[in-house]
Amino acid sequence: MAEKDAKATASTQAAAKAEIAQAQDGQSHDYKEYSVAEFFKKNRQMLGYSGKVRSLTTIVHEYVTNSLDAAEEGGILPDINVEIENLADGHVRVSVEDNGIGIPKQFVGNALGKLLSGTKFHHRKQKRGQQGIGASYATLFSQITTGKPTRVKTSLGDYKVYECDITIDVKTNEPAVKNEREYSGKYRGLRIDAEFSEVTYNRSEYGVYEYLRRTAIANPHVQITLIEPNKEIVVFPRASKEIPKKAKETRPHPLGISTSDLMDIVQMSKARKISSMLQSDFTRVSADKVKELATLCPGIDLERSPKNLTWAEAEAIVKAFGQVKWIAPDMDSLILIGEKQIEMSLKNILQPEQMKVVCRKPRVFRGGIPFAVEAAIAYGGKSGSWVSTDEHGNPVETKGELLRFANRVPMLFDAGTCATTIAAKDVDWSRYNLKGWESLPVSIFINFVSVYVPYTGAGKLSISAEEEIVEEIRNALMECGRDIAKYLNALDRAKEQEHRRSIFFRYIVEVAECINDLTGTDKALLVAKLKKTAEEKTAILLAQGEEAEESLEEVGAIEDEETNGKDEE
Amino acid sequence: MAAKKEAGQAAPKQIREYDAETMQKIQTLAAALLEEINKGENLHIDIPVRGSSNVTFNEKTKKIELGDKFARRYLFNVAHARRFMQTLLVASYVKKDLLENNLTATLRDLYYAKKHTIPGTKEDTIDEQKESDLAIVDFEVALDTFRERLHLRAEPKGRIAGQMVVTDRVKDKVDTIDLSKMGSGGWAVPSIVEQVEFKEIDAEYVLVAEKNAIFDRLNEDAYWAKQKCLLMTTGGQAARGARRLLKRLSSELNLPIYCLTDADPYGWYIYSCMKYGSMALAHESDRLGSKDMKFLGMSISDIEHYDLRSVTIKAKDVDIKRAEEMKAYDWFKAPAWQREIDKFLDKKIKAEIQSLSSKNLQYISTTYLPEKIKSQDFLP
Repeated sequence: MAEKDAKATASTQAAAKAEIAQAQDGQSHDYKEYSVAEFFKKNRQMLGYSGKVRSLTTIVHEYVTNSLDAAEEGGILPDINVEIENLADGHVRVSVEDNGIGIPKQFVGNALGKLLSGTKFHHRKQKRGQQGIGASYATLFSQITTGKPTRVKTSLGDYKVYECDITIDVKTNEPAVKNEREYSGKYRGLRIDAEFSEVTYNRSEYGVYEYLRRTAIANPHVQITLIEPNKEIVVFPRASKEIPKKAKETRPHPLGISTSDLMDIVQMSKARKISSMLQSDFTRVSADKVKELATLCPGIDLERSPKNLTWAEAEAIVKAFGQVKWIAPDMDSLILIGEKQIEMSLKNILQPEQMKVVCRKPRVFRGGIPFAVEAAIAYGGKSGSWVSTDEHGNPVETKGELLRFANRVPMLFDAGTCATTIAAKDVDWSRYNLKGWESLPVSIFINFVSVYVPYTGAGKLSISAEEEIVEEIRNALMECGRDIAKYLNALDRAKEQEHRRSIFFRYIVEVAECINDLTGTDKALLVAKLKKTAEEKTAILLAQGEEAEESLEEVGAIEDEETNGKDEE
Repeated sequence: MAAKKEAGQAAPKQIREYDAETMQKIQTLAAALLEEINKGENLHIDIPVRGSSNVTFNEKTKKIELGDKFARRYLFNVAHARRFMQTLLVASYVKKDLLENNLTATLRDLYYAKKHTIPGTKEDTIDEQKESDLAIVDFEVALDTFRERLHLRAEPKGRIAGQMVVTDRVKDKVDTIDLSKMGSGGWAVPSIVEQVEFKEIDAEYVLVAEKNAIFDRLNEDAYWAKQKCLLMTTGGQAARGARRLLKRLSSELNLPIYCLTDADPYGWYIYSCMKYGSMALAHESDRLGSKDMKFLGMSISDIEHYDLRSVTIKAKDVDIKRAEEMKAYDWFKAPAWQREIDKFLDKKIKAEIQSLSSKNLQYISTTYLPEKIKSQDFLP
């Protein structure tokens, strides 16, 4: 599936390039405004809208990501409610409501009705989001598949509530706001109601349920409530009241910027020239570096206004970024979840018998980009994904799962090429008593933290398997493994003891009967005494904690006079 | 040499006395176990180790002997528990079912008598007869006794014919048997021969053949009558009854015993077990080994001497391997045997006794055996 997606993405990118080239030849400079909505309308796979299950996950992801950012922005403990409803006409209604800071009325249209408008309408900072397109594309997707507007309700908590319907004018990429309503009320946050078609809800490992579960695991300060189409209410309760440290407001580093990120920045920038935009909106870009970029992009006049930068030009600049030697980005831009928080979270969601969390020190890849790996292994309890459950909803059959995150955002797709998957495959699990963990009740948690995540595709669902990254993840997993192995070994020993006990008890009655035959002593009395001794012996062996027994000595087989000789004739 | 002997001088101890002695040994063991139970200690039985690590060859007595190494088997030890239980099953059966009722049983009888599913489990006390057989040997060595004294018998094997009258007993019934009047089959050697008494005998030696076919051939040729000997076959590896009978013929009647096997390592091994005892039954070498037995043939030298080269068989790899092992045994260290084994390893051929039939059918009784015995052409 992942492979198919990657292929689809590659081919749409090729198609996009061709289309853009054509636009450049014949059309005017308003290509950008005209084509962005149009282009993505045609190439929705690029944005994660491929497949019915995946499309729904992407929609929820976009909304929830914005909600998390909006709460973080206000230093608020997020409460997010997600409701999925199957409508009679086959449409699916998605409602997401948060208690974040809300959106000022004048920004609502751009935030949810204009692509590449800078969806993080307040400030630029480390984003969780997938593309600079985010929730606005959901609006477009709703509109394309059902013809319906997206209903928005928001308030900044100032007792003024604002509601409206939003659609996007596909030709101009401008929001169309209708049915506005303003009233007084005690409310703060954002609620979005939208209808979609060509989406499906299920509990598979690619679905909304799994996405929210993982989001809850990586964000212990969040409380998420999900109402499923069958009206079942699932609550992923808050594990910690500690609000994560706010992302420092850093300008982006040229490395790790995607074309759409750059297009996004262009929209936000107040600079008059591309050259000054590069210096003012990025970190580590000096006048000298701009000159270097100019030589690398001879076809682009860096002295012109950034406003009419085309997609192809942005692509060329991003490519040039990769060829320049940059001063490394700042280390303290890394925001980790933290060992204690992960522990609380895993305890909360997975209730494991045993777990180990490791937060590794920051390291760098590509010669200077800082990153850090947080990893955990949880064993038992509700760990692993459930293949089947009993009538009480407890797991009966489980299999191991790899929980992949980049900056706390769950990555549900494209697992095969991901550095996390490759690192997990690389570990010799037999050393940690976890051989075949894929079929054990095990959750392996990996959060890759960096301001610049080297994603492998446009989908941002897989981390490039750079050597330093894979090695670091591997080390983190092995560190967890060592701890879990201790527990599992102890578990094995306990099982062994139980086995031992059962063997002793099994033969006691037989032995008592024989001794009764030999001595005439009362059998019940013999059994009672032998059982007492067996208990004591088992306890002693348990205390010693290891095999305190020699094995049965090799005895020469009985000489079988009957058959040992060679047979005649 | 012993001609016309009034046998029976070393009259066997009354069977009942042996039983009392065995019973006493079992009671002592049981009492020790009971004491351990009362003290809350781990139950154990000491069992002399059988097998090459605890077996030595005594040059003086020419016996394979059991060393003094023993293994302590515990009830409360995962690796021992099952076998411990099985050993006690044997003890209970021997005491309650056999000794107390004055009955004997086969190993298989015991297996079926004591095999059952342990209550509350899916496990059987004994899965295969091999397990109870091993437990029986454990029990006999632990008591420092032997199987016959436990009233356990193996499948009888071996036949005998010749100028001898014996008495045998089935419980209280005593039968007199004339071994010269046993027809074509001879008298089947019982699995327990302690009760057999030698009465009249007119023989100068015992010829024991590994193969039934040789017995039949020589019996048909009236070899034992002509040569004044007792003729016996073991039918392959000698059973305990046959071995014990040979030992008694040798020690009580002073008859020399000549052994006839195929010319190959397995033949030699059958011979050595009868003569010196075996590793697995090292604890019974005294009772079962006929230390004065001589190896008449076939030897590898016979192949040359009797010009049998054309009827030999190519030795297999397992034969070579076995020969190499045997070359290292202390009881094959006599120079004559080392030469014999070397010859075999050199030529890599073996021969069956029946290969003598290539000359003519009666060659063995008219030429080969008389010549060999006359010239005392034996291996030690």
